[in-house]
Amino acid sequence: MEDNKICTGPLMIALQYNDLFDLDKLSTSTNTDALPKGRAFTFIKAVQTVNERLVDQNKTESLLFEVILIAKECSEEFKRKIVESVKHYGLEIGKFYFCKKEELINTLQSNKVKLFVSTDRDAVYNALHTGIPAALLNDQADHHILNKLKVIFSGDVIGFSEDTLDSLSDFGFSETQIETFKAAKIRMKEFAVLIGQMRRKFGLENSPLCTCVLTVWGSRNICATALKTLREWGLDADEAFCLAGAPCRPILAVVKPHILLDGGLHNIPESQ
Amino acid sequence: MNKPLMKEMQTFWERKENQSSPCKKPKPPKPENVITIAVSSRALFNMDQEQDIYEQQGMEDYLNYQIQHENEPFTPGPAFPFVKAVEAVNARLRDLYPDSEELFDVVLMTSNHAHVGLRLINSINHHRLFIERFCMTGGNSPIGYLKAYHTNLYLSADSLKVREAIEQGIAAATVFSQGKITEVSETQLRVAFDGDAVLFSDESERIYKAHGLDKFFEHEKAHENKPLDHGPLKGFLEALGRLQQKFYAKGQRLDCPIRTYLVTARSAASSGTRALKTLRSWGLETDEALFLAGAPKGPMLEKIRPHIFFDDQMFHVEGAAELGTVAAHVPYGIAQRFPSKTGKDVKKDFSAKQL
Repeated sequence: MEDNKICTGPLMIALQYNDLFDLDKLSTSTNTDALPKGRAFTFIKAVQTVNERLVDQNKTESLLFEVILIAKECSEEFKRKIVESVKHYGLEIGKFYFCKKEELINTLQSNKVKLFVSTDRDAVYNALHTGIPAALLNDQADHHILNKLKVIFSGDVIGFSEDTLDSLSDFGFSETQIETFKAAKIRMKEFAVLIGQMRRKFGLENSPLCTCVLTVWGSRNICATALKTLREWGLDADEAFCLAGAPCRPILAVVKPHILLDGGLHNIPESQ
Repeated sequence: MNKPLMKEMQTFWERKENQSSPCKKPKPPKPENVITIAVSSRALFNMDQEQDIYEQQGMEDYLNYQIQHENEPFTPGPAFPFVKAVEAVNARLRDLYPDSEELFDVVLMTSNHAHVGLRLINSINHHRLFIERFCMTGGNSPIGYLKAYHTNLYLSADSLKVREAIEQGIAAATVFSQGKITEVSETQLRVAFDGDAVLFSDESERIYKAHGLDKFFEHEKAHENKPLDHGPLKGFLEALGRLQQKFYAKGQRLDCPIRTYLVTARSAASSGTRALKTLRSWGLETDEALFLAGAPKGPMLEKIRPHIFFDDQMFHVEGAAELGTVAAHVPYGIAQRFPSKTGKDVKKDFSAKQL
C-alpha cells in the first residue's frame, strides 16, 4: 500500500441545500414544520448510520463523516427554516454556509472538503476541474436503504492507464477535460484511501458501508486492474460490475448506490 | 461539456483493449438483442474445495483462501462445457451474420464478494472464455440483476436462488458437480429437455400424482388435441429454435451447431402425441424426441451426450448424472412437493450454507 499514513480527523462532505430538501415541492407541501425531503436525504441518513456504528465500536473514533450544508444567500427567515428542518429530521449537519453561487468553489476549498456531492453533473465537473474531489449524488426515487452507505467507484477511470486517458483527445475531449479526468483519478484515490480505512473497521458481513466498482465500457481486464488498484490504495471492494457497454440504468436501479465517483467521465445519457 | 455518443466511446475502449491483447476480441452485443445466459461462479468453475472451506470455516477464511490462490485458475465446473459450446455457436453465427447481434451472451452472475473477482477474472482469461459481463453482488440476491439483463436462462449451483428465479418467471436450473465426466462435442451444442414441468406445465403430472398412471393415460388421450400450458423452459427452447433458423436460412440444416432433444417418460404410443402436438401448436420442434415410456433416462442420455439436460425430478437428474450427463434440476411444479425419491443432493442443498 502506497499511503501508509493512517488518516484521522473528520472526513468532510459538502452538499447543497437544494439536494437535501426538495424545493420544488415547497409550494405544494402541507408540512409547515420542515422543508420537504430531497434526493440527498437517504445519503445523509446512511452517512449517519456509518458514524453511529463507528462510534459504537470506538467512542474516541476520529475518522468520522462530517457534513456541511451549502445554501445560497437568503432571508433570515429562510435560513432559520433550513436549520429547523435539519433539526426536525434529526440530521447531523456540522456547518451551514450561505453564500453566492460564485463563492461555492472557494467555500469548498477553504473547508478542505474531502468530497462534494451533488445531483448537478455540471457542478460536479466544475468542482473536479478546480481540483476538488466530487461525486454524483444518485437521484433514486425510492428511499429504502437507510442503513447502508453505498459508494460506486468507476472502474473505467481507475482501470484505464494514463496513456489511454490521453488518447481521449481522439474523441473530441479537450486537453482541459482530459486533465480534469486525470486529476479526478487522483482525488478519487484520496477518497478511496479514507473510505478504505473506514471500511476496514467493519467486518465482511453486516457492514454499514459498501463499496462497488462499476466498469461500464472497459473489458473484464480493465475491471481487474481497477480492483487491483483499489486494493493498492487500501480498499477491497465489496461488489463489482462489468457491463461491457450494456445500459447502466437497469443495473444501477438494482445496485441503488448513494454516490458515484466517476470523475465526470460518464455523463450517462437519459436514454440509457 | 461535450457528450460523445456511448457507442463511439465503447468502440474506442475496445480498440485500445485489442491493441494490447494478442487475439482480437469481438464486441459484446447489446442485451436487448441477445439470448442471455447467466451462470454462477460455482456452475462455471469447480469451487468444491472453496465451498467446503466456506461451510466449515466461515466467510473470512474462505475469502482469504481465495485471495491467496488468486493466481491459480479454477478448473471447469458443470456448466463449463455448455458455455464453451455456446461460444462455438456464436463463432459460427458471427461468420454467417457478421453484423447481427442475435447471439448468445454469457454473463457471470455470482453473489460472491468482489474479493474473489480477480481469481474469477484470471480463470476466465486462463480458459479463454468470452465472458465480458459480470455481476459480483457481494452477498446480495442476483434476482434483480437477472431481470436487468433480461436473462433467458440462469444456471446456478444454489437451489435456493434457482427456486427464487423460477418463482420470478426466469428460466433457471440447478447444476451439480459431476462425478463421472463424459466427453461432449466442442462443435455442436446439444440441449436435452424433459417434457412435463420443464417445457410444458405440470398439469398432467398432477393428474398422475393424484390419480395414478391409468387416469393419466385416459386424460392425455381425451385431451390429445388440447395444447398443454407452457413450462419454465419453453422460452429457452424457443430462443434456441430462433438461432437454429438462422443456420437453416444459410443452408446449414444438416451441419447445424445446435441440436435439441425431448427426453420424456411419456410413451410414443399414447401420451406422447399430446406432447408433440403441443410443441407443434407453439411453432416449436426438437430435433429428436425420445419417448421412454417410463424407462430410465440415464442410458439414453449417455448415448446422446447433451451438454445439459433439464428435468424437474431429482430422481432423473441423479440418474443422468450417475452416467456422466450434466443434469440440471428445474424446481417447478408438483414434483417439488412430492418427490418420488429424496435425493441426497436435495438434502445437502437444504442444510448447507450457500453462497
